[in-house]
Amino acid sequence: MINTLYSLDALGSSRALFLALLVGFGFGFALERAGFSSSRRLAGVFYFTDMAVVKVMFSALITAMLGLSYMVGFGWMRLDQVFLMPTIYGAQIVGGLLFGVGFVMGAWCPGTAAAGLAAGRIDAFVFLAGTIGGSVLFNELFPVIRSLYTAGDRGTQMIYATVGMSRNGFTLAFTLAAVAAFWLSEWAEKARTGRGPYLGSPFLKAFSLALVVLAGGLFVLSPATAGASAKSAGAATVTATDETVLMEKVEQALDHIEPEELANRLMAGEPNLVVVDVRPAAEFNAFHIRGALNVPLAQLAAALQPYQNRGPIVLYSNGMTHPAQARDSLQRQGFGNVYMLTDGLQGFRDRCLTPVSLRPEPLTTVDAARVNAWRAFFAMPTASAKVGVATAPVSAAMPRVVETDWLAARLGTPGLKVIDLRPQPEYNTAHIPGSLSLNVESFRGNIGGVPSMLLPPPMLAAQFSLMGLQPLDTIVVVSGDKLYDTTLAGMAFERLGHMDYVVMNGGYAKWAQEGRAANAALPAVVESGYPARRDADDFTVDFRTVAAQLGKPGTVIIDVRPADFYTGKKSDEARAGHIPGALNRPFSEDVITSPDKAVTFKPIDALAAAYSQMIPSKDTEVIVHCRTGHQASQTVFVLKRLLGYSSVRWYDAGWTEWAARPELAIANETQDLTGRK
Amino acid sequence: MTTEMGNTRRNPKPYWNPYLAGVLLGLVLLASFVILGAGLGASGGIARIGASLSMCVAASHTLGSEYFGKWGAKPLNYYLVFMFVGTFVGALFSALLANRARIQVERGAAASVPHRLAYALAGGVIIGFASRLAQGCTSGQGLSGGALLLTGSLVFLVCLFASGYATAWFVRRQWHD
Repeated sequence: MINTLYSLDALGSSRALFLALLVGFGFGFALERAGFSSSRRLAGVFYFTDMAVVKVMFSALITAMLGLSYMVGFGWMRLDQVFLMPTIYGAQIVGGLLFGVGFVMGAWCPGTAAAGLAAGRIDAFVFLAGTIGGSVLFNELFPVIRSLYTAGDRGTQMIYATVGMSRNGFTLAFTLAAVAAFWLSEWAEKARTGRGPYLGSPFLKAFSLALVVLAGGLFVLSPATAGASAKSAGAATVTATDETVLMEKVEQALDHIEPEELANRLMAGEPNLVVVDVRPAAEFNAFHIRGALNVPLAQLAAALQPYQNRGPIVLYSNGMTHPAQARDSLQRQGFGNVYMLTDGLQGFRDRCLTPVSLRPEPLTTVDAARVNAWRAFFAMPTASAKVGVATAPVSAAMPRVVETDWLAARLGTPGLKVIDLRPQPEYNTAHIPGSLSLNVESFRGNIGGVPSMLLPPPMLAAQFSLMGLQPLDTIVVVSGDKLYDTTLAGMAFERLGHMDYVVMNGGYAKWAQEGRAANAALPAVVESGYPARRDADDFTVDFRTVAAQLGKPGTVIIDVRPADFYTGKKSDEARAGHIPGALNRPFSEDVITSPDKAVTFKPIDALAAAYSQMIPSKDTEVIVHCRTGHQASQTVFVLKRLLGYSSVRWYDAGWTEWAARPELAIANETQDLTGRK
Repeated sequence: MTTEMGNTRRNPKPYWNPYLAGVLLGLVLLASFVILGAGLGASGGIARIGASLSMCVAASHTLGSEYFGKWGAKPLNYYLVFMFVGTFVGALFSALLANRARIQVERGAAASVPHRLAYALAGGVIIGFASRLAQGCTSGQGLSGGALLLTGSLVFLVCLFASGYATAWFVRRQWHD
């Protein structure tokens, strides 16, 4: 199996740049050989005087299409190892229409103009200058046309699926259409110019026949390879008829589960639902649906034996082909409960995990809340092995907590912003190159008489703007010896709906201790206009909400202050004690502090075990508080972002407010109400 | 020596059989899929040159802009930029080998140089804009996406030819002899 640089996420490596240069060389050579260094020849296609564009382009397209199909058919590579551009109807229709006008006017396109420039064409030079200008123009107009840029975004769409054909069927039809276009082009040229050297020539006949035979050959190849993989799983050979039946079922969506449905059922914690990712381990480790098992195709039947004919087994990969084959093979072995995820992982990401702010159409509040809930639930790393299959380390899948080497490997990536929360003198002395300094207390202030409250969205957005943060940035927060600074910053990000933030485990102490890069330079910051979203914070509650939950079964209140404050032995507030019924789990128990003050989260397993003692299920209503909301932010983060509790809320005002309101009941050592322990 | 040069200049070698040139192009594209895991592209490289020029003129404005900004401070550090340079060098190699490199403005005999260059410039601006909007040009969307059988790419290709043919008559003069 070939690994493409794209699939290895190595398109940015210097080796990739060199290989791209070589591929480009071949590209330019072929274009020039074809006569695409002549604008007159290119324009000819629109006047039927020189149809070289059709002949060259479709010969190339069909060659590459067939070549790729054979590569995939022989099992040498997979289609998902190639970057598949999304289908965005609005942008591509309008873009295509504009492009056609530009093409016929300029008589160049970007690639051929490079060839034309090489062949000394001044018009190609002028055209390229225009293209650069047009790109700059696009950038300047982007805020105005942003909605068009994403209009009709359907994610990765394959044409054969769109038109309801099998891949091989469409490939053959497309090849036949190209051959017809070749003959029509020859005929048109002959009619128009009197020249038509290839019309009816033995060459064109042989070439046409070769393409059609190769396209037809795929029908012979695909069942054979499908059979081979099925055999290795210990099943009978799959025939072409089965494939057809299967594709029909696929079209009728009989054996599908829609991404939204899967997301909801997973979040609901359906006990017998098994989700299986059939992609290679490397891809699984990079990202997978939370809770999915990673099972190689060959071991599928054996690995899934315990789940046979019990709850639904949902298979997915990036597309349809692999799970379809796998499902067919499982069915032959008596599995009657196998489903495929509609549109695969890509569909799941597009339909469930695309942030509300990036969606082409506005969503209703209900739908937006649903999407936010999905994102919160699925954007989380979990160890997810049930079958004894090797799985990723906890932080590998779209991490919430990253290690120092993760950051070191990504420093300088555009869109990656590092925020250092240590006291300013420490930052000034040395910090991670490019990192921004922030005193996290600047995110808090007095609101309605209550001190130390997280500021409202416009004030946070103003600060984000001054720091040059943008909505699409990935923010890495780095703490000093208070890891809970990072999670308080996280509350600010989440209040503005900025979910793409991660906490660096161990903070700056670990970074420094490992001798990683540091300097004292202040970063260059360009002020941005961070939007002040007001609808993202659905997790902060006030004392009324907490008071209303009192005595209600089913809600767990967790007080994360040190035990002495919880019991009332110590107090630095109006009253001593805790909210009646609240459980005590000091925030400090969720972290480990090394001798040199590097604070890291405890292992997920330990955290999960501790909280499963306190909270009955993942969807139990939980309210977390401390004195001012700072320490509680860490517990909220642990519960929501690391452990996947879906309904965790944050009582920011905390004990400061509760204790100061005499009408609110309290409990303390003398009158304790023990909760579940 | 001079006469020889003159002779070859007057007699550029003929282009290849377009179908075979197409097959070669298709194999290069296939190699790009297999090695890089991405198709051929040209407009992406050009746009990044645009972003880099924009950086020279107004660095903070460019970095702060929503589209170019995400390419960071070094937009040229990208495989498509290198591919674009390779395209130029490969074409130069081929053109020199076939005696086809000649400084000229290609146009119809009856069309003026400014006329042709104005069209080339306008076409360039439109294409620069359109290929950013469509996330690719004839190479990236049309050829590469088409070979991958991506719906959007083929829709782009159909729209491209449809509007090209619809516009052709209006701009035909630049090719009149």
